[in-house]
Amino acid sequence: MTLLSVPPHVITVGAGLLQEALDAQAVPTTAVAWRPPLPGTADALARVLADPRLPAANERAVGRLTSARPQLVGVRRASEVLDLPERMFLHAGPPIDWERASGPMRGALIGAMLLEEYVRDVPSAEEQLASGRIRLEPCHRHATVGPMAGVVSPSMWMLEVRDAEHGGTAYCSLNEGLGKVLRYGAYGPEVLERLRWMDRVLGPVLSAAIELGGPIDLRAMIAQALQMGDELHNRNRAATSLLLRELAPWVVEAAAGSAAEVLRFVNGNDHFFLNAAMAAGKVSTDAARNVPGSSMVVAMARNGTDFGVQVSGLGDRWFTGPAGVPDGLYLGAYGPADANPDIGDSTITETSGLGGFAMAASPAIVRFVGGEVADAVAATRSMYEITLAEHPAYQIPGLGFRGTPVGIDITLVARTGVLPVVNTGIAGRVAGTGQVGAGLVKPPVEAFTAALLALADDRKRSI
Amino acid sequence: MTVGIHARRPRTHVTGAASAAVRPVLEAPRSPARVLAVFPAGAYLEVRTELEPSVLAVITGAATRLPNSVLLAADLPRVTVGDEAAVGDGSVELGRLSVRARRWWDPAPPLGRVDPVRLRQAAPRLTPGEPGLAGNDAIELLAAGCASGRLLSAVTAAERLVGLGPGLTPSGDDVLAGLLVTLRHLGAAAGADRAVWLADWLAATVTYDARTRTTPISATLLHCAARGEASPEVIAVLRGIAGRQELEPARRQLRRLGHTSGSDLLQGISIGLDTVLAMTEAPSPVLVPEAPRPVPAPEAPSLTCAMSVTA
Amino acid sequence: MTRDAVLLRKGVYHDSVTLMRVSRSLSDLPGMRVAIVAMATELNLALARDLGFDLPPADPGDLLVALRGDSVDTATGELDHALARLSASRTQAAADQPPLTTLSAARSPAGLVLVSVPGEHAFVEALDAVHAGLPVMIFSDGVPVAQERRLKLLAEERDVLVMGPDCGTAVIAGVGLGFANVLRPGPVGVVAASGTGAQQVTSLLDQAGAGVSHVLGVGGRDLSAEVGGLSTMRALRMLDDDPATELIVLVSKPPDPAVARAVQEVVETLGTPVVSALLGERDLTAATEEALRALGRPVPAWESWPGWSPTSAYTKLKGVYSGGTLCAEASLIAGAGEFTDYGDDAYTRGRAHPMIDPTLRLEALARVEPGDVTLMDVVLGHGADPDPAASLASAVAHATHHGATVVVALIGTEGDPQGLHRQAAAFREAGAAVFTSNAQAARHARNLL
Repeated sequence: MTLLSVPPHVITVGAGLLQEALDAQAVPTTAVAWRPPLPGTADALARVLADPRLPAANERAVGRLTSARPQLVGVRRASEVLDLPERMFLHAGPPIDWERASGPMRGALIGAMLLEEYVRDVPSAEEQLASGRIRLEPCHRHATVGPMAGVVSPSMWMLEVRDAEHGGTAYCSLNEGLGKVLRYGAYGPEVLERLRWMDRVLGPVLSAAIELGGPIDLRAMIAQALQMGDELHNRNRAATSLLLRELAPWVVEAAAGSAAEVLRFVNGNDHFFLNAAMAAGKVSTDAARNVPGSSMVVAMARNGTDFGVQVSGLGDRWFTGPAGVPDGLYLGAYGPADANPDIGDSTITETSGLGGFAMAASPAIVRFVGGEVADAVAATRSMYEITLAEHPAYQIPGLGFRGTPVGIDITLVARTGVLPVVNTGIAGRVAGTGQVGAGLVKPPVEAFTAALLALADDRKRSI
Repeated sequence: MTVGIHARRPRTHVTGAASAAVRPVLEAPRSPARVLAVFPAGAYLEVRTELEPSVLAVITGAATRLPNSVLLAADLPRVTVGDEAAVGDGSVELGRLSVRARRWWDPAPPLGRVDPVRLRQAAPRLTPGEPGLAGNDAIELLAAGCASGRLLSAVTAAERLVGLGPGLTPSGDDVLAGLLVTLRHLGAAAGADRAVWLADWLAATVTYDARTRTTPISATLLHCAARGEASPEVIAVLRGIAGRQELEPARRQLRRLGHTSGSDLLQGISIGLDTVLAMTEAPSPVLVPEAPRPVPAPEAPSLTCAMSVTA
Repeated sequence: MTRDAVLLRKGVYHDSVTLMRVSRSLSDLPGMRVAIVAMATELNLALARDLGFDLPPADPGDLLVALRGDSVDTATGELDHALARLSASRTQAAADQPPLTTLSAARSPAGLVLVSVPGEHAFVEALDAVHAGLPVMIFSDGVPVAQERRLKLLAEERDVLVMGPDCGTAVIAGVGLGFANVLRPGPVGVVAASGTGAQQVTSLLDQAGAGVSHVLGVGGRDLSAEVGGLSTMRALRMLDDDPATELIVLVSKPPDPAVARAVQEVVETLGTPVVSALLGERDLTAATEEALRALGRPVPAWESWPGWSPTSAYTKLKGVYSGGTLCAEASLIAGAGEFTDYGDDAYTRGRAHPMIDPTLRLEALARVEPGDVTLMDVVLGHGADPDPAASLASAVAHATHHGATVVVALIGTEGDPQGLHRQAAAFREAGAAVFTSNAQAARHARNLL
């Protein structure tokens, strides 16, 4: 009981009048810039926060998330490692059907139909997909994540990432590069040609290289890349270089004949590492799932139509709101009218404390997403207000090596009205267009409030 | 009846907090004052008054809360050494500012009762670092005189130490201040009446002619220490010794004060603690002046001392 | 030409007291009839609708501005100035991300949390404090008792003190929190379930030169059966453990009998003597005097300026109070009369406390009739009206000129921002009898009848 020994430093939250009275007494204070919680959440907040399990549950959830040690252990065919029978595809974001799917999602599904040779032409692909004979399931349900449309079909090669700490495994497809690519909904001949080459050459060579070289420590690589100016969502240049340096000798040993084309391909794609970072994020957040009572977000994902959120204490339920159109810079003559609503599982990076949350580490991209360096620092700083912890390994040099903000707490989102900052690429709205820009996107607030109300409801039932 | 001290300029009224020790000076009729020294986080004002503290520290921000401080809730005004100022009628007028206190803190908070066993445990953990007068024979004499209860040695040593050393608060004064505050507080807390009695004598000795023997700020701080008033850093160490808070962080914090001030104060505290321990071990030490010698009468200061310390 | 203007500002938040001050400064502009500047809560929207404003759909997070008068444009301009001033001070702080929750603020070292957000949100902020192991003072009222109980039970686990909800005053090592007076440090610790009751006791102690170590508020419901006196018992033990406290005064309305027994059991374990000031048993002034005697200090004659009252027959006693406990004390002593506590929730919905906003009491004084004795409190200190006499004294003068008499219980210290003697002089000049003891003021008023 040290309260009474010295004049206290006072945290004030509320009326300015009382703060002024303390200022007049030269009392050191910290003023909370309080504002009312999101409309309709006050009761739910009181109920959820009164749950005696909450502090320990969130500590456990974020502890598991930040202690995960993701390692790249293999490159394997989807059909071998996933429960992915014929005529079933995985896709990004919360569940969706053809009817509600957006242009790029439809384009990628059509491309997958052609790639798997389930059909010979686009009209029959569309017909099949519309008929409901092709099963569509979210990647997230299969320990998988996919960038943009995130379509995974049985023949694709997947990065296999294992959590050396908790033993989980997660998957992500191989990155195809920029321009016209399947994940942005392009399915022209050059897209399919590239995918077939990846199937024939890239996948098997990488698989053999990693088998020879052994697991690659992604946690260490991500930590290093953050200190080299990546935020691991929109900038992966440093991480890709680090991975390439690690892989190169084993690629040469594994397949001297195709080593040059494989290394040239990886080198030519600054985003090659993104998919590894995503699988690392997925395996880490999966470790934090299903902690009873926890209000921590374990997935944020978009399917081009809806933005969905999953919460540790709420199992596999999705809470969704309409996906917004990103605000950013456009390539060439494209403009906002060409943009599709937000799409992709790549928000797993933000969920695990990277991407928009680590923007202060990446001054190089702030112009690209339409801002100043100060905005990037402010963005990261504001994320500490809605997160449970600072990442012990992922640090930001510019903030004095402070850990990145990690573990989004829906109660803090509702209390502050601050939504997660998401960096993202922008897909063209017409199937087959590809990437049209990149920017920041605002998640829909209702996804978070709906999750909070559900948690409060569960709490009511559990008392 | 208003007697202008200097031409009235428009003043900015600000508020702040003050040590309760300065309340009598602040509430007395207005007296002229002069800026003695200016630092980034504070300024010392010498007030024309018979009261003590006669030097006020007007401070801001994280500056040490000396027992003679007025803490501003605003930035320090631009002033230079020699500037005129005024103190009294409830305010301090300095530069463009007129300051009133909206909060008072106690510079001599009582420690409560403490078990001498606890004091004994704390003694070895009180390493003072590198005090400015390490190895000085007056210090040794002071320590020996206090611990053995030989009043004459203690008083003689104290007289030699007043004003000894360089700087605004000479090392000798800091050692004496640490000793006085410790004897008063720990003496009262441990029920060692002899220690408090010794404090009365030493207080009378050092305050008798402090204003002529050392710098004005140091003299004022000696007067404060004589009444048991100190900065929170010193009080925190005493609380640490008494087991009311962690000792080590408090000790480190005090050591960081000034160039050698912190270490000097710690040295004084350490001598004080040994003395209190010696006096609780031997409840009635033989306190005999070795030779007849005039000592300053302790009555007046000891009265104020007794009033400011509540066990 | 009188016209209406309604504006909604999205995403602008200011606390209600701040906005009420802005509203007041706008309605003071010449030609303005109504100025509402408030967050668009249901309550405030209804208030504006009742006044006949036509409102667009709004969110509670929006700032509602409803203006009526012939100078609406000037008022709008003023509003922008006022809000810009408020935001400027905010942006300065925002250069480095300000904490948005107590949880975030408590990540840096701190000693205490002061919560004054609207009652329905106070629990959440206070919970952050308790989880962080920080003592918390909840100034907010309107917090459900179940939440209070939950907080205080959790505080037992975490070994921290919860002061409130509805804790109006506290003083920690000299730091005045909420409505508190500027007090000299001294040997008396106060545990208070009543804010203005504690202010009366501590102001008198200060006048007697005794001084105060700490005032720990516990909230008006702490000694109810539901809450069980958890904070009172903790506060008593803390003060017992505090070396600066030689004597404890416990100020409260009469507690629940079972809780009173539990508190008494704790009191018996303490090494520090406890003087209780329970309303109905003994008035606050008498309790203060007992405390002084227990400390072996002289009891002074409490400062008062009774003035001269014409001996004409007064017929009616009206109590026009801002402090609940002071009102109840005066009513008990007077035995008869019509007492109104304008600090009660019924009068503070949608407006600031009468210790800040004198409007309702000015209206009450304007209604005084010849032959009335009006008894009122004026409470000084941090947070209170910076110059209550400036508005109230002329209303008092008006009343006394019309054959009524006014008795003021002036609660405060000379060190208070308003200055006890400056305020006393202004009320005396207006013709009021002024007492620093509420009990003496009440007796004086009673004897005039």
